[in-house]
Amino acid sequence: MSVPRALTFADFALPTNIVSKSDVSRLVAEFEQVDDQLTTAAIRSKTGAGQPAPLSLSQQLTEFMNQNKLRPSTSKERSELIKQLRLLKDSVPVMHMTFAVEADRESLQQLVQWLRSSVHKQAVITVGIQPALIAGVYMRTPNHVRDLSLRASLKGSRGVLVKDLEALRGSR
Amino acid sequence: MGLFQHKKKSSTDDALFNEQHFFDENFREELRNHGRWYFEKVINENGALFKQDLDATITELNGELKGHINEQLDVAIAKVSVELQGHVTKQLEEQFAEHNKAIQEAQDIALQQMATSAQNLAQQHKQLGETLEKAITDQQATLATTFEDSKAQITKMKDTQGLTLQWLAQSVQALQQQHEQLTTTLQKNVAEQKAMLVDVFEQNMAQVIEHYLLNALGDQYDLKSQLPSIIKQMELNKQAIVDDMKS
Repeated sequence: MSVPRALTFADFALPTNIVSKSDVSRLVAEFEQVDDQLTTAAIRSKTGAGQPAPLSLSQQLTEFMNQNKLRPSTSKERSELIKQLRLLKDSVPVMHMTFAVEADRESLQQLVQWLRSSVHKQAVITVGIQPALIAGVYMRTPNHVRDLSLRASLKGSRGVLVKDLEALRGSR
Repeated sequence: MGLFQHKKKSSTDDALFNEQHFFDENFREELRNHGRWYFEKVINENGALFKQDLDATITELNGELKGHINEQLDVAIAKVSVELQGHVTKQLEEQFAEHNKAIQEAQDIALQQMATSAQNLAQQHKQLGETLEKAITDQQATLATTFEDSKAQITKMKDTQGLTLQWLAQSVQALQQQHEQLTTTLQKNVAEQKAMLVDVFEQNMAQVIEHYLLNALGDQYDLKSQLPSIIKQMELNKQAIVDDMKS
């Protein structure tokens, strides 16, 4: 199988185990390495230098290739795919999410899944930690920030607390 | 001529021969040694006797010399003591005479000075008496004047006291009025301060409760347990997020 002509970086679907932009960068680097290995293997087979070592692909790359049905067989196709992957790396929309606690991989995958189903199919996230948030998330898109943390909720509810105290004073 | 031709020797020749044969060199040396030993023995014996006699003589001489020296020293010391005593006595007498003379002179000078001082004191006493009399006269005149002045001042003070009492009565009345006004103002201010403090307390209380919640709830929930809430929040802001990402 080969890369269809119409399939560009904008058409790629990212598997859920690719969460952050660094995962995308790692994907590109790994595929470049694979291309180098395949090219070397082709040259070695032509010169009769022996069988090359079998390829070992990461789970992320395997899922990406399967999900997008990519089977580049020639050097030209691989080069085209590398080019598209590099474009993908530069164009993926990134959302920065800060949590109060350390984020586990499974939760991040769920969040990415929601983002890709609701916001953008190629969205990735970068993660930060700020314990003062207590709970919830502090989101930063390229142009906006959204504080969906418990700290912001408490701050917004301060007026209610003051009112309650005033009512308590009035009752005394 | 034959063997018996030799002349027979006489007895004198034999004696001489025997003597010469007996007193040979060895015997003479023996005799000299014996003589030397004997001489040394006599000399040593006589030397010991002489030394003994000499020691006895020296001891006796030392005793006599010591006695003689003691005697001479006693005589000399007695003589020197008598002379020294005389000399010291003479010196002391001379010094006593000089001291007596000096004391007499000092007494004369002191008596002269005391007489002069007594004379001066008498003059000063006289002057003081005169000054005192004059001062008493002046004081009496001054006291009379002062008494008159004080009398006038007391009269004035009585008038002033009356006026002051009147002014004091008015001041007390004014003070009472001011006190009432002050009490009213103070009560009002206290009420305002109280209300302000309560407001500040309520504001701070809200912050305290927030801080308490921050500390109490921090690290209580992991991301997995927060995930439904986070996704719910994101769902609520979904359209805005989509717009943000598109822009």
